[in-house]
Amino acid sequence: MPSCATMKKNKGKASSTNEKEFVFEFRAGQHNCVLKVPLQFPVQEIINDLHGRLMLLHKIPCYIETDLKSSLSSFVEKETILDYDREAELALQRLTAGDVDINQLTNAWTRSYVETTLEHARPEEPSWDEDFADVYHELIHSPASDTLLNLEHNYFVSISELISERDMELKKLQERQASEMDKVMHELGNTLSDHDVNAVASQHFDAQQVLENKWASEQKQVTGIQKHEYQQWVISLHQDLQKSNSSQITEEIKVQPSQLLEVADPGARMFEEQPQLEESFTIHLGAQLKTMHNLRLVRADVLDFCKHRQHSSAGAKLRRLQTALSLYSSSLCGLVLLVDNRVNSYSGIKREFATVAKECTDFHFPFLEAQLDEVQQVLLYARAQRSSKQKEQPEIPRNGGDDKNKNVERNPSNILPGEFYISRHSNLSEVHAVFHLCVDDNVRSGNITARDPAIMGLRNILKVCCTHDVTTVTVPLLLVHDMSEEMTIPWCLKRAELVFKCVKGFMMEMASWDGGISRTVQFLVPKSISEEMFYQLSNMLPQIFRVSSTLTLTSKH
Amino acid sequence: MRPLKDAQLGAFTFFASALPHDVCGSNGLPLTPNSIKILGRFQILKTVTHPRLCQYVDISRGKHERLIVVAEHFESSLSDFQKQGKKASSEKVLQVAYELLEGLDFMNKHGMVHRALSAHNVLMDCKGNVKLAKFGLYHMTDHGADVDFPIGYPSYLAPEVIAQGSFHPSDFSHDEAPLPSGPKTDVWSLGVLLFELCAGRRLLQNIEISERLKFILTLGCMDDIVTVLAEEHGCLDAIKLIKAFVYRELPEHVLELLRKCLTFLPSKRPTPAELLGDPIFNGVSCLYTPFKKPVSLFSSSLRCAHLELPEDISDLCKDDDEDYLSERAINEVYHLWCLAGGDLEKELTNKGIIQSKPPICTLANFVLEDGESFGQRRDRSFLLDDTTVTLSLCQLGNRLRDVAGEAYYPLLEDEQSSLPQSNSSNELSTTVKLPLIIRERDTEYQLIRIILFDRLLKAYPYKKNLVWKEARVDIPPLVRGLVWAALLGIEGDIQAKYESTDKDTPIPTDRQIEVDIPRCHQYDELLSSPQGHIKFRRVLKAWVVSHPDLVYWQGLDSLCAPFLYLNFNNEALAYACMSAFIPKYLYNFFLKDNSHVIQEYLTVFSQMIAFHDPELSNHLNEIGFIPDLYAIPWFLTMFTHVFPLHKIFHLWDTLLLGNSSFPFCIGVAILQQLRDRLLANGFNECILLFSDLPEIDIERCVRESINLFCWTPKSATYRQHAQPPKAAGDNGFGKAASYYTSDYQDMPKTDLSRDPLALCDLKAEVAPRISAEDLIDLCELSLSGPGKRTRAGKPKIVAVDIRNLEDFNRGHISGSINIPFSTAFGPNSELVQCPATGVLQSYRGRVIVIISHAITNAIMFAAHLVKVNFPRVCFLDGGINKLKPTGLLTVPSPMI
Repeated sequence: MPSCATMKKNKGKASSTNEKEFVFEFRAGQHNCVLKVPLQFPVQEIINDLHGRLMLLHKIPCYIETDLKSSLSSFVEKETILDYDREAELALQRLTAGDVDINQLTNAWTRSYVETTLEHARPEEPSWDEDFADVYHELIHSPASDTLLNLEHNYFVSISELISERDMELKKLQERQASEMDKVMHELGNTLSDHDVNAVASQHFDAQQVLENKWASEQKQVTGIQKHEYQQWVISLHQDLQKSNSSQITEEIKVQPSQLLEVADPGARMFEEQPQLEESFTIHLGAQLKTMHNLRLVRADVLDFCKHRQHSSAGAKLRRLQTALSLYSSSLCGLVLLVDNRVNSYSGIKREFATVAKECTDFHFPFLEAQLDEVQQVLLYARAQRSSKQKEQPEIPRNGGDDKNKNVERNPSNILPGEFYISRHSNLSEVHAVFHLCVDDNVRSGNITARDPAIMGLRNILKVCCTHDVTTVTVPLLLVHDMSEEMTIPWCLKRAELVFKCVKGFMMEMASWDGGISRTVQFLVPKSISEEMFYQLSNMLPQIFRVSSTLTLTSKH
Repeated sequence: MRPLKDAQLGAFTFFASALPHDVCGSNGLPLTPNSIKILGRFQILKTVTHPRLCQYVDISRGKHERLIVVAEHFESSLSDFQKQGKKASSEKVLQVAYELLEGLDFMNKHGMVHRALSAHNVLMDCKGNVKLAKFGLYHMTDHGADVDFPIGYPSYLAPEVIAQGSFHPSDFSHDEAPLPSGPKTDVWSLGVLLFELCAGRRLLQNIEISERLKFILTLGCMDDIVTVLAEEHGCLDAIKLIKAFVYRELPEHVLELLRKCLTFLPSKRPTPAELLGDPIFNGVSCLYTPFKKPVSLFSSSLRCAHLELPEDISDLCKDDDEDYLSERAINEVYHLWCLAGGDLEKELTNKGIIQSKPPICTLANFVLEDGESFGQRRDRSFLLDDTTVTLSLCQLGNRLRDVAGEAYYPLLEDEQSSLPQSNSSNELSTTVKLPLIIRERDTEYQLIRIILFDRLLKAYPYKKNLVWKEARVDIPPLVRGLVWAALLGIEGDIQAKYESTDKDTPIPTDRQIEVDIPRCHQYDELLSSPQGHIKFRRVLKAWVVSHPDLVYWQGLDSLCAPFLYLNFNNEALAYACMSAFIPKYLYNFFLKDNSHVIQEYLTVFSQMIAFHDPELSNHLNEIGFIPDLYAIPWFLTMFTHVFPLHKIFHLWDTLLLGNSSFPFCIGVAILQQLRDRLLANGFNECILLFSDLPEIDIERCVRESINLFCWTPKSATYRQHAQPPKAAGDNGFGKAASYYTSDYQDMPKTDLSRDPLALCDLKAEVAPRISAEDLIDLCELSLSGPGKRTRAGKPKIVAVDIRNLEDFNRGHISGSINIPFSTAFGPNSELVQCPATGVLQSYRGRVIVIISHAITNAIMFAAHLVKVNFPRVCFLDGGINKLKPTGLLTVPSPMI
């Protein structure tokens, strides 16, 4: 009964599998039997199972069971060791033969250790930012928080005054220039020529520029001073707190002049409170294990989440405190701002955002311009990395990559739809991080799909939210900030449905990344949509997301 | 697991490497995070128990791919020797070497390699014996492929390991994973370690890493590595002195050992097993007895075979002030530590091992469309710091301070008391009444319960009855897997049976299994890990192969999930439990053509709805929302498809105690929780509602289904396709089947039992039938003494005789009321107002048994009653004729 069976080969690592034959001889009655089994090394199977299968398959008598088992396992053990030895000596040979450079090899090892283990890593250079972050986080969670906020508010007020002064002066200048221009226009054709008018106009423009620059530099200087003062004060307060016992200090803090003078409304610049429309939902995601999240549909201007309201309203102050408390915590708030393909703040929503970001000094992070400069540099670096990698592996053309590459080659400092940059802020009312997501005119058309770069960008934003503990994120539901003619009711409904569904999908995906931490997603619709439209959208939401049932407090039957 | 004894619990943490952006697996599903892969691979380490190895206890995932591993820990290690600068005696060196090799050999037998051997990973217990720590790191990280950091320490790396290269994940030039190291790499590390021990100081410490590695690689050209090492070592001291030390001070056999370990070529280097048998250790090996694996609960060999009692039993209870907690198993102590408020992340943060930066400071600047981010500063807090932190047991000790010593050793003889007597027994008896969720978090209560169940299980199957009894109170989560196995009556050598089942040969079902597994309870870390998938596949295939008359239906995967989760390291037990569960609760559900079984089941279910909640039943029937539309996955998977695991556990804790008709009650209880919404909605909304079942309060569901179960006469859920009665006498230790747990089918069949009914007839009946037996039992008519149940446990019942008055007067069962069929209902099938129906109204809420002459009348009468929302309506199978032979009918004495 010499049986020879070909067993199903196990898939192993393709590079280093080899087949060996296990031979086992035994006696059955008068017969000498030989069992030959080709085995794939390294053996992935459990030896006991293999043994059981052999017994079954070849109907091997039970009295040899233990013999077979021990001889099989010692065979596998021996051969595995031989394989290890062969591989190991092959590697050593490559080294002695000079196929592998010993310096390269040891340097790679060194790098691994230096970059990944604390023991071998280079000592950390002290980072002022992080020290300040710790100090601030501690103070804002102490009785000193009120003082901090008041101080911040006072600085805010003085910046506001500065800005209103600037606006006043600019207005005066504009008025003067307008009357001058009127006079000039009056004389046009009489004593003055077109050339003269142009000259006056350019002169006016220059004057305006000079004035604006003057104010800009002044503002910059003031904010710089404020930031410095503020940081010094925070550090020294912290030191004081550490030195003496805290009760004494709380007294001291209270003594601090809390001149919460309500300044007069510094002009129409502050936005007036408009009735916001909003509706909240609690939803459950997941088939068996359900995770709970909050959704909110809000009709508001995107910058409402950034602008500071007057301190007078209690809600505003609380919101300010909330934002400050969570700044260095692990529950951040993010906002998606849709921008064009240039990294700057010269036009449109970017300019408006920059204006809002300057209304109040950022005491923690660099000014917006500085952050954007950094983004620009990182962007260039990223492009260089990508192109060098693409040269290395030219065989993988990414989907529709050709088109994009051309675009990139044209101007590598521009960003593409679906890409986004992140700016960090401590001075916005409800937001810590702003995701500037690049979109093109395509989003205005009615036929974008779930594979659209803007949607993929949203997904990546949610992913960053996951990895960096952004637990509240505000997303423009229609992927536009302003409504226009072509955005009809069907257009809105279609777009809202797409974004709802995609975000739902991404949120379910996120649950697998972070274990289903509860988050809040705010869907933002432009202010200009009608109330009726808003309620249509809010009716759509529960059809797409499973809204959790209201808790019924009826007694059980 | 071993008792804790003088060991401590330690925790260390590391990060799994992050996945590349936007890469899908070959099956189109997202890739499994590396931390989950590691978590799955870790599990087997919990079973690797050896006196020379630090027992692994648990692993948990934190945020951002962080993993925390809990293991047995000791404060002192070999590096203490080095710090003291002492040279170890040659006896000590040999002892350490031998013990280390014992540990390494045992690991190798389990297919594992240490790779991270170093002085601080060789711990010493209080008796000075070696305990290897972090021995599973190389295994759980798939030979280092799932982490960024290299495994092992530069000075101890074997030359072939260095030569095979380090594969830093950020280094994209190497695509293939690093080659795994064999057992002999550890022998080299052992050599270096022993050398350090002899020399009394660390080797190659003051040289830069790359130089260190180069030095190790160049040793290949040397003749005598030990001498060279001594010379290197000597560049700091006087070379000659060291040389002299090596040759003069070291005895020849130690030198021999070092030479053998530090053999440059792996093929010439011995394996740990070979070295262990080397004559060098002749003097040492006799001091050690080879480790014997304790016999598991389910095996063919005698568990008490190696039990040795001391001559004088009182020796066992000598020390009074013993620390009883340390006599408990390590995993128990850890479980209790967690319950007592232990928080791993907090412990590690307090010791400064976990340092996290505010996330706002580490945000990236710029993210490309494919998700790759740029400008993110490298966060130092992600670097590896593998310091092990000792978990303080103080808090747990304080929590359990009041637990008396006797509580740790409860006596099992007394079957009356469910909880052992202790000082705090009053407190415990109040705890029993608290909700289950709270009980499961109560440290002291869990301690007592775990000890009790541990002892009961040790005495299984002898103490099977007690296990049943205690399981009715609750089942501690820690021992649930084994308790369930006990409840399912698993016995015998399941391992051998499982091993002899062919789980590898391809079968046609493979494809379907392959599709289903990545969709089954994947929110769970264990079940979504690759190891989990492999085990899933094997258990499912084993079941399919070993049940040739049944087939794989989708849903079997869900059914397998709870068993696999609870017995993750014991596939054989998971398989055995599943194989015992299915015939009990899902008999023939997995036939190739199961329609008759399922149809009958669903029909009985709809009768149960009508029986318990006629209003809901009427509504659902009106809108056509029949059980076929929603309940098939409920019953086919015993609710495992609709609930998350933690709810399944609580549900099944009770389900396993009930008989095969208990699932009907669960189904009704679920419907009742959604009652308001169902009643308010039409067909479409109901379909939508059930397509994604809303949250169900599982404790309420369990409570209500028990209540429903108590109200249900046993025979009402009779099914002809249920499991036929088991052959008598298989209850080896005489499990006293109580009324609730035994199946109706298991009862001896008599003339009074229910008769099978064609499916179409069954479907036509709105209310269930009950058997004459049940009626007799419930009305306590039996002449042969009291029934099986006490009065209190029985549902209240009223028998309604619908024959005409004449027949009624000729003989009826005592206590029944007479409402002739013809008079009861008006033209619109409303109940006619008359004294008899008034009486019926007053009995509303009781079980109403309709007794008739012609069965069609009873069917109609019952249907009418259900229509007007009478709950708990059923009728007597076979009608009055069934009762006639019993002689239980009485004739009222004529009124005077």
